[in-house]
Amino acid sequence: MDKSSSISREWIVKKILFVLAMMAVLGIVLIIVLVTKESIPALTKVGPFNLFSTTWNPKTGDYGIVVFIVGTLLTTLGGLLIAVPLALGTALFLTQMAPQRMGTLVTRGVEILAGIPSIVIGWIGFTLLVPLLAALTRSAGTGILAASIILGIMSMPTITSIARDALETVPSSYKQASIGLGATRWQTIWHVILPAARPGLLVAVILGMGRAIGETVAVALVIGPATTFPKSLTTPTHTLTTKILMEMGESSGLQRSVLFAMAFALLLLSMGMILTVRLATRKKEFAR
Amino acid sequence: MNGTRVEALSAGYAGGRPAPRHETKSKMQDSVATIVVWSLAMLGLSALGVIIVAILWRGLATALNPAFIFGEPQAMKAGGGIWPMIVSSFYLAALTIVISLPIGVGAAIYMAEFAKEGKITKLVRFGADSLSTVPSIVYGIFGMMLFVVYFGFGYSLIAGALTLTILNLPTVMRTSEEALKAVPDSYREASMGLGANRWYTVKKVILPCAVPGITTGAILTIGRIIGESAAIIYTVGIFVKKIPLSPLAPGAPMSANIWHMYTEGALVPDWLRVASGEAAFLLLVVLALNLLARLVSWLYRRKTRTSDRFA
Repeated sequence: MDKSSSISREWIVKKILFVLAMMAVLGIVLIIVLVTKESIPALTKVGPFNLFSTTWNPKTGDYGIVVFIVGTLLTTLGGLLIAVPLALGTALFLTQMAPQRMGTLVTRGVEILAGIPSIVIGWIGFTLLVPLLAALTRSAGTGILAASIILGIMSMPTITSIARDALETVPSSYKQASIGLGATRWQTIWHVILPAARPGLLVAVILGMGRAIGETVAVALVIGPATTFPKSLTTPTHTLTTKILMEMGESSGLQRSVLFAMAFALLLLSMGMILTVRLATRKKEFAR
Repeated sequence: MNGTRVEALSAGYAGGRPAPRHETKSKMQDSVATIVVWSLAMLGLSALGVIIVAILWRGLATALNPAFIFGEPQAMKAGGGIWPMIVSSFYLAALTIVISLPIGVGAAIYMAEFAKEGKITKLVRFGADSLSTVPSIVYGIFGMMLFVVYFGFGYSLIAGALTLTILNLPTVMRTSEEALKAVPDSYREASMGLGANRWYTVKKVILPCAVPGITTGAILTIGRIIGESAAIIYTVGIFVKKIPLSPLAPGAPMSANIWHMYTEGALVPDWLRVASGEAAFLLLVVLALNLLARLVSWLYRRKTRTSDRFA
């Protein structure tokens, strides 16, 4: 084999692989540029006063998206209220308490739950959860509560697996020291392990939040829909994602641009979360 | 005896202050906490159980009926099947994998074997991390504008496959990179010590060893593609009557078609039956893929264990 030709071939291969690696960067840049470009008419022609009002009626030129932002915030918060205790409990169970077989079973269960398509979970919400809530509360059954339960179930696997990793990185010497000083298992968990794993747990919650903010189809099947503020936890409303999903098909012109502006808001939220995660994970290696 | 020693120790640790006297209280607290943690874990597990049982309860009988699986979909009357939807789902998955695997594996090879940790790798990882947090509906309308409208593909399998390629790029890159990094460094040293250059080493030594890991990742990605809906509703389509042949033809993957049934299905008298059957079929496919991925990694682990024994 001619040495110089093999070196130049390696050089070419390296350049090609570099270009492939940069596809990830190209992808996110394309998404940001395109979504921004499509939402410019909304920002210039509709204007912030109209956008940040509470009335949505494209026929009369009212493009207020506050109701949808509130919907997203409420359902995400509700989802986290359900998912965080479930996920933290499961992660603690897996790392501190589970007998081996039970641990394997729960681990597999969480993996499978993470892989269940959102449309399937939404279908359960629509055919089982909503009728149940409707009967219990004598209302439509759709709305914030149903969406929160669905989102809680869906973001639980994300939070569990990251929280589990965070708990596992706490050196076992910490635990042994605490137990050796006479602390009970729970005292050790509460006063030693959870504080030591805090940055990782924060990352887990933030990424779970990301899952909840971005979830679309499953929420769309149980949210209502309606373009007004919800009067109770079981009255129809909308979120950013469900509004985009349901209206993009028949939209054009300014209305479409406003939907892209809503996508832009979602992008800002997710980029903000990535930056927070980066900040939270930057420092801190455990002292051994 | 043991207790007094621990107490003495902790008294010493606390700087001479008397050791806590409420041991029974903390023991009770410990048992309560144990029960709570156990119940939370079991609650999560039972949510999964409820979902699987309820979906199969409603749809399994329909989903396993050959007339439903291989039947032609109906737009206005009862008795429709979902064959073109099943084909669309797998066609879309195959197309996406064919495009995204070379890109993802190539990128992973660059990151794991060629790049030095520095600005470039940081940038690529930041790009991949950002992509993985973008909501799928944003991918959906992005793909609609870029591939359906600007590129002029119209609603088509290729428009969906390109959108899903970007969506799945972080996952494919991560699983491939993990598979590559799991290959021991001694393999690289041996190959390069024999005079092979880096690319030859990757091609002939590292990649073959990483194939099982990459395959497992690819199967899990197929599961994600088949389960995805928000990103394909506005790129691939939601209803077709005939099997799509060309990549440029519109399709109707199962997940998107369930959405169609929910929004406009009332035109079909038995839309609840069709959508429930489709949901059950979709769930079975995803569970089967999950099992397959597990099987591949199990076979691989067994194989490496044997080769270790001979080594």
